[in-house]
Amino acid sequence: MSCEQYDWKAYALGELTSVDRREADAHRAACESCQNELAHMRLTVEALGALREEEVPRRIAFVSDKVFEPRWWQVFLRPSFAAALVIAAAIVAHGYIARPANDAEIQARIDQAVAAAEERNVEAVNTVDKKLTDFYVKATGIVRQ
Amino acid sequence: MIFREVEDRDLIAKARKGDVEAYNLLVSRWEKRVFNYLLRLVSNREDALDVSQEVFLKAYQSLPKLDALDRFGAWLFRIAHNEAFSLLRRRKPEGEPPLERGQVRGSELLPMELSMAVETALGRLSEEQREAVLLKVYQGFKFEEMAEILSCPVSTAKSRLYTALDLLKATLSPVILRGDL
Repeated sequence: MSCEQYDWKAYALGELTSVDRREADAHRAACESCQNELAHMRLTVEALGALREEEVPRRIAFVSDKVFEPRWWQVFLRPSFAAALVIAAAIVAHGYIARPANDAEIQARIDQAVAAAEERNVEAVNTVDKKLTDFYVKATGIVRQ
Repeated sequence: MIFREVEDRDLIAKARKGDVEAYNLLVSRWEKRVFNYLLRLVSNREDALDVSQEVFLKAYQSLPKLDALDRFGAWLFRIAHNEAFSLLRRRKPEGEPPLERGQVRGSELLPMELSMAVETALGRLSEEQREAVLLKVYQGFKFEEMAEILSCPVSTAKSRLYTALDLLKATLSPVILRGDL
């Protein structure tokens, strides 16, 4: 029989305070029964430590589990989603701004371009004609009527 | 550059905001402990794995209810305790052939003799006594934490552990001292 007031289980488990431990040590030095009790308890606790820890057979993870999916509004906070959203918005805006015209608008633009070109041609012809006239006057001194 | 290991509480905070990867890291830190605790309690590898999955799923769903982030371990084991005993209660009425305690059904025996002796000795304890040993000796919880996990007074948790240790001492000491191992 060990002396009841000493908690050798707590001692073997390392649960005693330093004060209680010193007191127990002092008692144990003179008590064979308590020495045996502690020795057996230490043996038991050490033996328990020999139990092999098992590896988990397979990883416990829930990435694919539905409950672990983010809520709908959390999807908008993802950087990849936000970037994709910006790019999509830019494409839509560009498409709207640079949208193709209808046939009437196209014809009007062609007519406008043709008129502008014709005007430029007339100006060019007039310029050349004037230069030739000036050259002729300079060379011959004759002013053409 | 100095890297600081991410604390559990940081991971919990992130997981609460829906960061799945943070929670998966938390799972990887705790899964082995939880699995081994459950394996010794329910004595079946497949059941232990299934219950482990359930524990981590329930923990994830209940994370917002966790008040003290520093007590995550005790809180997680409280869930594991509930799930394990829920399974044990479901098992009993089915009249399954009782397993010899400590034997892992359908799995190979542990190779080390001492480990086997310990497993057998643990198997002879009641579920409550075995759980007390698992929480104290293998998981290192304080008596207060054990009481929280087991939902009982500290004195009850301590009493279960001490009774278990006396029984284990009676079983293991003669075997070890005889040099059978």
